[in-house]
Amino acid sequence: MDASPDLQRLLEQEKERMMVNEIVSKLTSECWDKCITGAPGSKFSSGETTCITNCALRFLDMSQLIARKLGGSQ
Amino acid sequence: MDSSPELQRFLEQEKQNMMMKELVGKLTSICWDKCITSAPGSKFSSGESTCLTNCTQRYLDMTMIIAKRLQM
Repeated sequence: MDASPDLQRLLEQEKERMMVNEIVSKLTSECWDKCITGAPGSKFSSGETTCITNCALRFLDMSQLIARKLGGSQ
Repeated sequence: MDSSPELQRFLEQEKQNMMMKELVGKLTSICWDKCITSAPGSKFSSGESTCLTNCTQRYLDMTMIIAKRLQM
């Protein structure tokens, strides 16, 4: 049985969505540990908000940096 | 074999169910660590209850913030 193009497309889309979900999940967990150091409040303090933003952005920077390093060494 | 709309709907539903279960498990663990810092009592103190509520909300807030950031 050949995998029809429709099914392949569906699987590829699903794979990509799951990968994005996984990154969001991992990043949330890492940034939670790094940024929420005391008992959670009824809203984020400005320090926490700043930390969360920085955390997400630095993580993206790091991914790009590593991808570049690995690409360059080929 | 065509991926019928029914199959897609079913898979999507199943995926959502699994994700919910995973989230409940994860939040329970995370908020337990953050909020129950001393020996558990015969019921939650009001401080612990508040913390647990806040913890759940904040973690979900953070998931949304990060999902939005990643959409760039």
